[in-house]
Amino acid sequence: MTSRREEFSSFSDRRLDAAEARAYLDAPVTDAERDEVLALVHWFKRRYPAPLDRLAYVRRAYARWQRTLGIAAGIVDSSG
Amino acid sequence: MRGGDFDEVSFFGAVHESGARALLIGRRALVLLGLPVLTADYDFWLAIDDIADFNAAAARCDLHPTVDPERARRRGRYTLENDEHVDVLVARSVTTVDGVRVAFEDVWARRRHITLGPGIDVQLPFVDDLILTKRFADRPKDLEDIRLLRILQSESNK
Repeated sequence: MTSRREEFSSFSDRRLDAAEARAYLDAPVTDAERDEVLALVHWFKRRYPAPLDRLAYVRRAYARWQRTLGIAAGIVDSSG
Repeated sequence: MRGGDFDEVSFFGAVHESGARALLIGRRALVLLGLPVLTADYDFWLAIDDIADFNAAAARCDLHPTVDPERARRRGRYTLENDEHVDVLVARSVTTVDGVRVAFEDVWARRRHITLGPGIDVQLPFVDDLILTKRFADRPKDLEDIRLLRILQSESNK
């Protein structure tokens, strides 16, 4: 029996074929997607203006995610 | 050394002091650029002649290689481990899934650095090159990271 974490890892670590990858990369970025990403970036840089603090935040956030066993699995990368 | 004890400042400081030509790639590079993504490990692309210097720096933080330098060169990658996990790419060049050859020396020449503290600079690829490194494997998470980097890039080009 596989855990949710293993299921997520195998999904996110699989290699896509060329057509799948091209389709994903060619899909236009919507205004909503851009706004959402940039809002996160602005928050992150405002909250943690020092690069070192950004790294520290990620270590804390990852530890939190491990404790909650992947509730936030959609944005976690376990191998790079 | 347990993960919670890992001192990132000491680690990046040791790498800086070593003089090893090491580029931080992977998601921690995105984090330094301002993208709040999560990751468990550290990813570097290292000059193939600098393995010994890099390993000596990592050893100061109790990180140890899984294979000897010669084997690492043959394989093109290796890992440094304790409770932390550092993936190291040591190829002179890598070809993306769609056939673009990416040479370490070219990426190194275009690099930028981010200062973490006094005397501690982390070397990062230029964003276009970081995007290319994300095409070495074309995993879903790599493609997601490319979209994030493109959005970040479009903002900084305004």
